[in-house]
Amino acid sequence: MRSSPLFFMALFWACFAMQGQNKQLLYDFTEIPQAAMINPGMEMDFQWYGGFPGLSGVMLQAGSSGISVNDIFADDGLDINDKVRNRAVFGMDARDELSGTLQVEFLNFGFRGRNPELFYSAGMYLEGDAIGYWFQDYAILGFEGNADRLNQRFDADHLKTRGELVNVFHFGINKKVDRDLVIGARAKIYSSIFDFNSTRNKGYFVTTEGENNIYASTLSADMALRTSGLNALYDAWEEDDIARTAIKRALFGGNLGLGLDVGFTYHLNEQTVLTGSLLDVGLIYHTNDIRNFTLQGTETIEGVEVILPNSFEDPDTDFWEDLVDDVNEFMPYEENSDSYVAFRPTKLYTSLRYNFGEQIPRWGNCECTTNAFRRSFRSKFANSVGGQLYMINRPRGPQAALTAFYLRRLGNVLAVKGSYTIDKFSYTNLGLGLNLQLGPVNLYAMADNLLSYGNLADSRTASFQFGLNIISWGG
Amino acid sequence: MKSIYKNTIGVLLCCASLFSCVEEQDFGQYDELNITPILEASMLYVEAPESLVNDAADAEVISRNFNFDAFTSDLFSERVIDGTITYIAENTTSKQMDFRIEFLDVNGNLLDVEIFAVDPGQVYQRDIAYGSAGESIEIIKNTSSLRVTATNATGDTESVSNLPDPKIVLKSSGKFRMRVK
Repeated sequence: MRSSPLFFMALFWACFAMQGQNKQLLYDFTEIPQAAMINPGMEMDFQWYGGFPGLSGVMLQAGSSGISVNDIFADDGLDINDKVRNRAVFGMDARDELSGTLQVEFLNFGFRGRNPELFYSAGMYLEGDAIGYWFQDYAILGFEGNADRLNQRFDADHLKTRGELVNVFHFGINKKVDRDLVIGARAKIYSSIFDFNSTRNKGYFVTTEGENNIYASTLSADMALRTSGLNALYDAWEEDDIARTAIKRALFGGNLGLGLDVGFTYHLNEQTVLTGSLLDVGLIYHTNDIRNFTLQGTETIEGVEVILPNSFEDPDTDFWEDLVDDVNEFMPYEENSDSYVAFRPTKLYTSLRYNFGEQIPRWGNCECTTNAFRRSFRSKFANSVGGQLYMINRPRGPQAALTAFYLRRLGNVLAVKGSYTIDKFSYTNLGLGLNLQLGPVNLYAMADNLLSYGNLADSRTASFQFGLNIISWGG
Repeated sequence: MKSIYKNTIGVLLCCASLFSCVEEQDFGQYDELNITPILEASMLYVEAPESLVNDAADAEVISRNFNFDAFTSDLFSERVIDGTITYIAENTTSKQMDFRIEFLDVNGNLLDVEIFAVDPGQVYQRDIAYGSAGESIEIIKNTSSLRVTATNATGDTESVSNLPDPKIVLKSSGKFRMRVK
């Protein structure tokens, strides 16, 4: 097959133009090896595959559930102060979030073992993930202040954020149990480059009528920010040595953790398939380069209070300094380097797929082959339709996304998957995924939330994904 | 194979039709963003019982310089725009009390003074504005201490109030608009 350079350019362009890719599109897209990364029990008929280092799997995703760039910066003649006040400060609540994920595969390969029912895969990828919930009460306090808000509590819990950059080494086994069932598991070693989290804050700030003076200001706090790796990176940045430090921490020089992925594919009947996977059940134990900050205690002040005659017993008393000392004593701000455990954001995928239409023989699965194992795979159907559920564990509890999809295969060369996803970011999320198999070369590109691309600045979520692999189906 | 290419290009064209656009954004608006919260808190509370009025060697019941570094801290002085100080003076003694509150800079120089009299059994409130609609905000920015003086206006040292727990009380609070951005 001869492919024109124009076609490759178009595909490459599509990778970037079709921003907004979501992993719901990749899930159960069995033509793509990287789909096994989100279901280690995926039905795979490859003999072996190898990803192009750095290009086999690239995914970027960013989302804001409450506001878009356009909401604030549109050239609409409105006063930006009103827009910020109405759409951000008071327009969002503490469950709205700003989150982003980055994933880049540096190594990914797989091969079928001597026992053809077993498929092994291994590799390494870099994953960055961060989420910050809208700090509503802090925003109100910062934008409006506490004046004329007597008895209104500003909740310390509204500060809830976490983020990390971690290098993941993985090894997976996929087993075809029988004609109906495929199961798989993947072990992971996490090498954390940096981590920060502040997710269990409690307390409040409130201004009330004072017992003696006009107002009483009360701060009750049980707050902590835990970090690892940031100090080392900051020092390295000052010494112009950040790349070496980051690589060292990525290659077991940081904090280590363990994780597990499991998954399955089960044919309920000839045309109906149930799949599921649970990813990143694991944790990282942070022990080196830790810097934690805490603020704990409760204190109420009514300004400098002087009650005579007792207060004047010591003529040298500095009432202001006494007040500051009292606050520091009852509300100590401290730093420590205590080790801590951070759990990975565990994800759950499940899908139900119905296949129909023309049957498509698999690569290397023609009637002429004598390979009994290969013949044990069912033929693919030209069409698949189904639904998927995705859940991820977040600091404010699980988040879910529901996806309906249609997948169309054009021979073994081209497959296109369209999806509609509903989640907290969007109710109008249409996505499109494209997989192209040019001989052994496998190319894929995916994007979702396509309707928002009329004005990307008005989009609350955007992501894209692409990859490049070499695949062999053997004889 | 030709049909595959046709289909592929068709799909890509579909994608092209959905190619993202970005409506013009005016990021210069950020410069017009004003974040100016108004913060409110108590400042100084002074309480003296009637016995102190009677025990005083002269008519001056209270006279004390209170360090008050809150205003001169960079966090405050570099960001304050305007504001109001509220005084509430309560006098349950039997004598008229004159209150004098002096604003002093770090060298003890007088920046401003507030004087008010409170009749026996009365509560007196005064709100003093600073900034564009009142006295100079520089007074507040440079105030390092407050000198509070309470004087028995009748000049004697005998107060015989029949009110329960007779005393003089000076309450105060500040309400200031700050420029965060």
